[in-house]
Amino acid sequence: MKKILIIMLFIMLLTLTIQAAADIEITFWTHEDPNRTEIEEKYIAEFEQANPGVTIKRVTSGSGQIQELVLTAFAANQGPDIFNMSIEDEYAYIVNERLSPVDFAACGYPSLQAIYDAYLPGVLDPVTYQGKLYGLPLELTNWCIYINKKIFREVGLDPDKDYPKTWEEMMEISDKIAIREGEILKRRGFDFRYPYYLVSWVPMVEQLGGKLISDDGKEAIINEEAWIKVLDYMKEWGPNGRNLGSPTYTNARKLFNMDNNDIAMCLSGLYQQGRIKADNPEFYESGEWMVAPFPVFENAVQEVPCAYYGHYYMVNRQKPAENQRIAWKFIAYMLSHPEEYLTKVNLIQPTLKLMESETYQSMPYSDVFRDDMAKGHIVYYGANSAKIQSLIKEAIEAVMLTDTPSKDALQNLKRKVQEVLEED
Amino acid sequence: MSKPKLIYSIERQKARWGWIFVAPSLIFFSLFSFYPILTAFYTSLFKKRLLSLKPPDFIALGNYTYLLKSPDFWNSMRATIVFTLGTFIPILVFSLIFAIFISSRKRFQNFLQLAYYSPAVLSSVVAAVIWLLIFDPRGLGNQWLNFILHTPGVDHKWLANSVMVQLSTMLVYFWKYVGYFTIIFIVGLASIPQSIYEAAKIDGGNDWKNFWYITLPLLKPTTILVSIISMLQCLRTFSTQYLFNQGGAPLAPINVITLNIYHTAIRDHQIGRASAMSIILFIIMMLFTWIQFKTSRADEISY
Repeated sequence: MKKILIIMLFIMLLTLTIQAAADIEITFWTHEDPNRTEIEEKYIAEFEQANPGVTIKRVTSGSGQIQELVLTAFAANQGPDIFNMSIEDEYAYIVNERLSPVDFAACGYPSLQAIYDAYLPGVLDPVTYQGKLYGLPLELTNWCIYINKKIFREVGLDPDKDYPKTWEEMMEISDKIAIREGEILKRRGFDFRYPYYLVSWVPMVEQLGGKLISDDGKEAIINEEAWIKVLDYMKEWGPNGRNLGSPTYTNARKLFNMDNNDIAMCLSGLYQQGRIKADNPEFYESGEWMVAPFPVFENAVQEVPCAYYGHYYMVNRQKPAENQRIAWKFIAYMLSHPEEYLTKVNLIQPTLKLMESETYQSMPYSDVFRDDMAKGHIVYYGANSAKIQSLIKEAIEAVMLTDTPSKDALQNLKRKVQEVLEED
Repeated sequence: MSKPKLIYSIERQKARWGWIFVAPSLIFFSLFSFYPILTAFYTSLFKKRLLSLKPPDFIALGNYTYLLKSPDFWNSMRATIVFTLGTFIPILVFSLIFAIFISSRKRFQNFLQLAYYSPAVLSSVVAAVIWLLIFDPRGLGNQWLNFILHTPGVDHKWLANSVMVQLSTMLVYFWKYVGYFTIIFIVGLASIPQSIYEAAKIDGGNDWKNFWYITLPLLKPTTILVSIISMLQCLRTFSTQYLFNQGGAPLAPINVITLNIYHTAIRDHQIGRASAMSIILFIIMMLFTWIQFKTSRADEISY
């Protein structure tokens, strides 16, 4: 009896051990997006059913926190199997060799070249390093101007004709729309997306002929005159100038959806439509909003719209090989539904097939985004792009919110960015 | 001959129990405080990138010399000193005033203690988020101040002006911690024997004289304790400045050392340099604490 019990116990333990070895848990960290959560949870269930023994654990964090969470986890060698962030934040992981190259076979492609052929030319360049591909795009986004037509009409403007085409017009129209109680803004015309300066503010400098980094990558802040003009513009925009907006006000993009007479214009991507629909379906259906291209300065030397940026799915190299293979297989499974991502979450996965599809062509204002994207370029990315963006933030805040002259703020910025380049 | 041996053995036994009781906290301190300090010092001698898997380069005191030449680091020193002086002195003074006020009440003592203490229970992050809403240009901060000053429509730029943003961070910290230190002072006040005041009353002392010649001198150990704890807390301030900066406030005026450490490590991935900065902050804190202990050594009170 005793012997039988011992044998049974041994068999049970052995079964459990084999079972544990067969089970694979894939941790997947991503930013919060309720619309995306809905479809991705569905993909997880489908994938787990098709791959017995595989569990996908999807964890979401705020879009402002995920960078820190992923970074600290990787620093402690405890990173997730799969994660995604914006390329400016992800690039450091590529150059520090923390990522697993795309497993084209696990993704269901006959070759690596077949992956490049499936996407729009150039969109995989930021994740290609030393001949290897390290990410697949969840989304490629550019921003245009969302306009509340009702507010335009209320101040006697025709939104279809009078929408701001230049930054000078943007300032005048915003001034006309603004409602102030003394110095306090009760309604803003437009306001910037303050922390994302590489995406939306550096292109303004480029319109006037400026550049963040020289072509040889050795010099920071090219054409200081252009930079000073745009810093002066921000100074005039801020509370110490014409008082049209400030980073200290609630972010424009969130207020826009509410249609509460708080703001007439904001800067956002195609995904904003899905969020308007979720936050305020009545406003979405009313047709009282429209999208206009990114403005340019009157004396611009080149037409540069908002830069586009990509969120790429990436896989942790420190995980076991089987985890990496399953992770790429799962990513490919999620990305095999680009039309659902577009219609339900308004995210553009830049495959040739999707961009040419009827679904994409029929999305409201997709032509405005497509045209701007065709004229633009990808956001600046490098091992220290997140730092450079923070330094630009510091300079803009200094001119808008303190008495710092644009020239001094620029000299400070130049010195610091140069130091970053030299450290690299 | 056997008697002293017995005493010795009892003392040893007592000491052994003392060690047993102290051991958990010593182990805890060694593991979670002392070991990280040593590791931070070791890391500060290397040029180490947070994400890099390559072995870091040994640069000896390179990180320290870089920091001592860096205008950003000196700006952080300035921001930290301004914040510390601007916060811990008002906390010290007002918590004493509030403690005397509460102790002198015959009614509502418990309620007042609870009311003053309640902000200390909140997490710093929650407190900063609440105050971010108050300091919004359309928020309660402007509304209250304009109502009091009869200045409708004035934007006091709580977060949008280099001086105001520093004052705002001090205000949040003061609001959060003044109640906590008030309670410590109340305990200190309660430990002063009433007989001393009674004797003073017989000698013709009034409230003002009692405060200057009895309360304040006898409260010195509590005052020293409060000043050290509050100063150390002010030197370590982080979440208010971090959240205000995230909320759009300019960085330079409130870029305290802890925030600079965070940015250097997390944003710039320079963990060696960030460690050097944290060691410098540690030395500053040790130095101030030592000075305060040194100046208060002769002031032990016995009744």
